[in-house]
Amino acid sequence: MNTDIILPPLEAGLDVLLEYLSAHVLACLIPAFFIAGAIVALLQRDMVLKYFGADGKRWVCYSVAATSGTILAVCSCTILPMFAGIHRRGAGIGPATAFLFSGPAINLLAVILTARVLGLDLGAARVVAAVSMAVAIGLIMATIFEEENEKSDGEPACTPSATDLDDEKSQPAYVAPLFLAFLVGILLAATSQISLWPKTVLVSALVLISAWILWTRFDETERSGLFGETWWLAKRIFPLLLIGTFITGVIGYFLPVDLIRMVFGTSDLLACLVASVIGALLYMPTLLEVPIVGTLFGYTSGVMAPGPALALLLAGPSMSLPNMLVIWRVIGPQKAGVYIGLVVILSTLMGMVYGAIV
Amino acid sequence: MVKIEVLGTGCAKCKSLAKNVEKAVEELDIEAEVVKVESLQEIMNRGVMMVPALFIDGEAKALGRAPSVKEIKELLRS
Repeated sequence: MNTDIILPPLEAGLDVLLEYLSAHVLACLIPAFFIAGAIVALLQRDMVLKYFGADGKRWVCYSVAATSGTILAVCSCTILPMFAGIHRRGAGIGPATAFLFSGPAINLLAVILTARVLGLDLGAARVVAAVSMAVAIGLIMATIFEEENEKSDGEPACTPSATDLDDEKSQPAYVAPLFLAFLVGILLAATSQISLWPKTVLVSALVLISAWILWTRFDETERSGLFGETWWLAKRIFPLLLIGTFITGVIGYFLPVDLIRMVFGTSDLLACLVASVIGALLYMPTLLEVPIVGTLFGYTSGVMAPGPALALLLAGPSMSLPNMLVIWRVIGPQKAGVYIGLVVILSTLMGMVYGAIV
Repeated sequence: MVKIEVLGTGCAKCKSLAKNVEKAVEELDIEAEVVKVESLQEIMNRGVMMVPALFIDGEAKALGRAPSVKEIKELLRS
């Protein structure tokens, strides 16, 4: 009877979903999942943690804190324990908050998907803004709360016992990074603008080389680890991404375009501020910030201006209500309040700057 | 009797580790006390920064990853 009301929004959702299932998105997502899986399975990620000691050089500490999210934060649930750990191990509030902010914002899968779906310019802006904001937030936090710079309260970092370590090293140290480089090569080749035939040849060649490295240089455990992690990530993230994309399409159908254009149509202060507050409060599952910005708020169709889009991408993945509560408990209301305020203000500013540039 | 501790904040990987541990214990048919440590404070007190983590008899066996049932069985045998 009322098919006129039900069908169009469903069609809108389906349209968006099909767009995400199209070849050019899959060509970037599939290699990206393999890269993320390889990072989890093959790299010794806890190496990064040693830079967060109390005696580390400050600029090294901040640079590592602001960039290590790329390889550490494939899953956002790992961020909070690491944040609390960095905070307590003596590196202090500065590097800890820098890490807390940049981790989810520059996670590899999210950056790749942003660049692919929302455009290379916004993808690059997201990385640059997130890293510089992370350092700024860290330094401001360290300056404000310096006098009460509590010393590390003692417990040495936990290291896995021998059984866990000796099965890691079955090949020279350069092999895993080299293998990753080939995987990144596949991603770049598969998403490049070259015509179909040379692309097919190039991608197949790179896939063959990667497979050869995988089978000759890694042992059985590492191989099954790699495929296990990749499959696990894909299994967890992909369905959520598809369902979420469909839902954003359906909701987007009901949202009045004029209202969104009125609020987010320009990159002025109000638009960026509203975007970053929404981003800070809303919980977005990994990667879903991309369709939310692209479809729900219509960045792709030109309704949302670049400024608020970036502000939402910056404040969105790093913060949500549930995660604010945990931060609150770990560092106390005062520091948490300042941190949350900084994220909202700086995301707004970054959005305005970006909006003014493009 | 072994004491097996699964440290995790309730993330998906932590749940899958807990499930693997239960399965490994069942398949080996040994007596084991399986404890789930979920408070962030307690996890921090152990000096663990990457979850999930697996402790067997107070010793860290895996950090930041969820070992398979097969691997856990081997860890429990040794």
